[in-house]
Amino acid sequence: MADSTQASAPKPSSSVKLVLLGEAAVGKSSLVLRFVNNDFQPNKEPTIGAAFLTQKCQLPSRTIKFEIWDTAGQERFASLAPMYYRNAQAALVVYDITKASSLVKAKHWVAELQRQASPGIVIALVGNKLDLCEEDGTTETPEDAGDAAPAEGGDDEDVVARKVSFKDAKAYADEESLLFFETSAKTGHNVSEVFTAIANAIPETSLKGGRAAAASGGTQAAISGAGAGQESRVNLNARGDNKAQEGCAC
Amino acid sequence: MESLDGTNWDVVIAGTGIQQSLLALALSRSGKGVLHVDRNAYYGGAEAAFSLQEAEEWVEKVEKQGGVDTYFSHASIRKNLEHTGEKAGLGPSRAYTLSLSPNLVYTRSTLLPVLVSSRCTANEQLGFQAVGSWFVYSGWAAPGDSDTSTTHIDSHLLRVPNGREDVFADTTLDLRTKRSLMKFLRFVGEYENQPEIWEQHRKKAFPAFLLDQFKFPTASHAPLLALTMSPDPPSETSTEFALPRIARHLRSIGLFGAGFGAVIPKFGGLAEITQVASRASAVGGGVNVLRNGARGVNYKVQQTPTRPSEGDAQRNLSEPGSGDAQTALIVQLDGGETVYADWLVGQDADLPLATQKYTIGSKPRRPSVALKSITIVDSPLSSLFPRTSDSSPQPAGAVVVFPSRALSSDQATDTSPETPPVHVVVHSGDTGECPAGQCVLYASTALPASSGLPLLDSAIVALLVGVQEDPKPCILFSMQYQQQSGDTSSVAAAAEDSPAAARVLQFPSPDLDVVLSDDIVSNVETAWKGIMGDDAVDFMRFEARDGGGGEEDEDEGVSYGPP
Repeated sequence: MADSTQASAPKPSSSVKLVLLGEAAVGKSSLVLRFVNNDFQPNKEPTIGAAFLTQKCQLPSRTIKFEIWDTAGQERFASLAPMYYRNAQAALVVYDITKASSLVKAKHWVAELQRQASPGIVIALVGNKLDLCEEDGTTETPEDAGDAAPAEGGDDEDVVARKVSFKDAKAYADEESLLFFETSAKTGHNVSEVFTAIANAIPETSLKGGRAAAASGGTQAAISGAGAGQESRVNLNARGDNKAQEGCAC
Repeated sequence: MESLDGTNWDVVIAGTGIQQSLLALALSRSGKGVLHVDRNAYYGGAEAAFSLQEAEEWVEKVEKQGGVDTYFSHASIRKNLEHTGEKAGLGPSRAYTLSLSPNLVYTRSTLLPVLVSSRCTANEQLGFQAVGSWFVYSGWAAPGDSDTSTTHIDSHLLRVPNGREDVFADTTLDLRTKRSLMKFLRFVGEYENQPEIWEQHRKKAFPAFLLDQFKFPTASHAPLLALTMSPDPPSETSTEFALPRIARHLRSIGLFGAGFGAVIPKFGGLAEITQVASRASAVGGGVNVLRNGARGVNYKVQQTPTRPSEGDAQRNLSEPGSGDAQTALIVQLDGGETVYADWLVGQDADLPLATQKYTIGSKPRRPSVALKSITIVDSPLSSLFPRTSDSSPQPAGAVVVFPSRALSSDQATDTSPETPPVHVVVHSGDTGECPAGQCVLYASTALPASSGLPLLDSAIVALLVGVQEDPKPCILFSMQYQQQSGDTSSVAAAAEDSPAAARVLQFPSPDLDVVLSDDIVSNVETAWKGIMGDDAVDFMRFEARDGGGGEEDEDEGVSYGPP
């Protein structure tokens, strides 16, 4: 946790809730673990079903702190709770470019987000496992990602090839105004680019300030009533101990 | 989608009510393989929360089932389609989260430490807001005024003093009342140590105790009765019931900050806790499946003695067909799958008929009924949410109590029949349950639908007049439903006297108390202990994954998950 924290302290910093969506085993968790672990602790074992990962993204003018929510496997039986989507400002919808059905599923999740999530949510569509389609580029990385390892199903083991063309997916993403990238969690290709693009796409007005800027207007706050909520929050960690700790403040 | 058929589990939990969800979390983080199913398409069961559209679907479903197999009946919705005026009308469906479980949680509740130690409150997953003020309605007709139409009744909402400082500062109380009130509050503070004062009144009505011991005139009982949140009329509210509840109220004030003693979970009451706990259970390796209930259960012919198998969900799912493992139960799911488990746990509405079952929470509970209503109004009702002290958080909840008889049309006389009180918990837009500038009113009274509906309706009308807001608040939407409690369906099942003998554990049905009962946590702990056996240590105490002890949550990259 060394380098990213000490970089240019005075920039304004804001938290952004980002949710992961997509079919099981497309590489959701591994994308995030690549993004998060790459910056520090590269040898850390991948975590299956982590509740949260957080990572800062430094932009020229501000720092975005992603609070990344993993599905914890709840997508397997289509059993995500409304609280998962609530107040999410960004979503990463992941499919596997070697599995056509996973894009169908991704489209379903995009529709679900448009139905359930805040209106201004930034959605990035990500085709993962690019390494499987590039004959040359794949140098094997031993700490390959946990539940995304393609070995599980055994469907497409032998002939691994692209089943979703860049053009088709891009066309769909443009139609729905989604950010679009093809990535490899395994090689790290394009992974940080996805998060930087999301960070850049989040409108300044929808950012609820970290410590400083408290104003959080915008439609999202109006819809969810989250605007004035922060000052009404009761700190359950305040019991008995000193409040200086600021346990769960945002 | 993956198939569950033939999978093995340590525990199958049926239903996602608050008890089941907390148990799923406790067990999955204690290393048990948990399959958590719910026949509904939503989390929460009897504690769920709904958008407007989901509420309509729920009401329709309740009516179709005719109250069979569920705790709910007599559900209906009324919408105010003629709403006009300068203020915004009903917002989009998803702008609302209407809760079937708007329970008050006192800061002394055993639930809160459990939520903190199990890290449900970490990373702002779960937020709580303050319930600032209690109000008592008094609707005496002005003297000499024979017109009984609502507008002519001088209706007031009187704020209940929030402890001794408040009593002292209160200008509406006369000196004598103040003195006896102070005396009473001092007594309640340590009533346990003064049995000589109340022991002989234990079973007797609380008002009689107030009159005999403290010389409180009946007219000033209402605020104290309001603090008991008793569902019953005063004459049926015993001293032994009332005293601990008033003590709990007073002792809770100030625990987490100045000026409040109760909190509500943001975004839909207990429903939010069920969702957070279910998700945390999934993080611990549990598998959540909505739209699939437990339809049947059978015992294996050769019931093997307890063998706590070191199962985890991942392994179980990847080894289908190993139904010869030493599980005690065969569970059939609504989806047609057969799964194997050592334990099955649920509430009676979620459990199939079992030949043997063990009911958790041995306290006998009388069957009871309540009519509840949920009303959306187009006003912030700001007068109900005063900041109770300079340093207190902005309250998002308020309680308005309509004492027995206060709403009766024939004016309160000693001869009119006693009605149960009506409790209204008001949630502001800050709760995220409605758009800013509106409020959600959760009302309940211990009556069946037939007699309760007029009472609830007049309570809401009286409240909206009593707040004296300008312009007058308008009702945009309301729904009503009857809820039953008490355990009725132990018909076919032999009651086993130990969890291990039964293997099928039944949680009591949700109780109707507006205040969250501590039984919730003790029931979950009992079930957890029964299932964990000798391994039952550290109930709901989980470390942050990176072992930072909790303070490091905010650092980047720190995560927590299953050990």
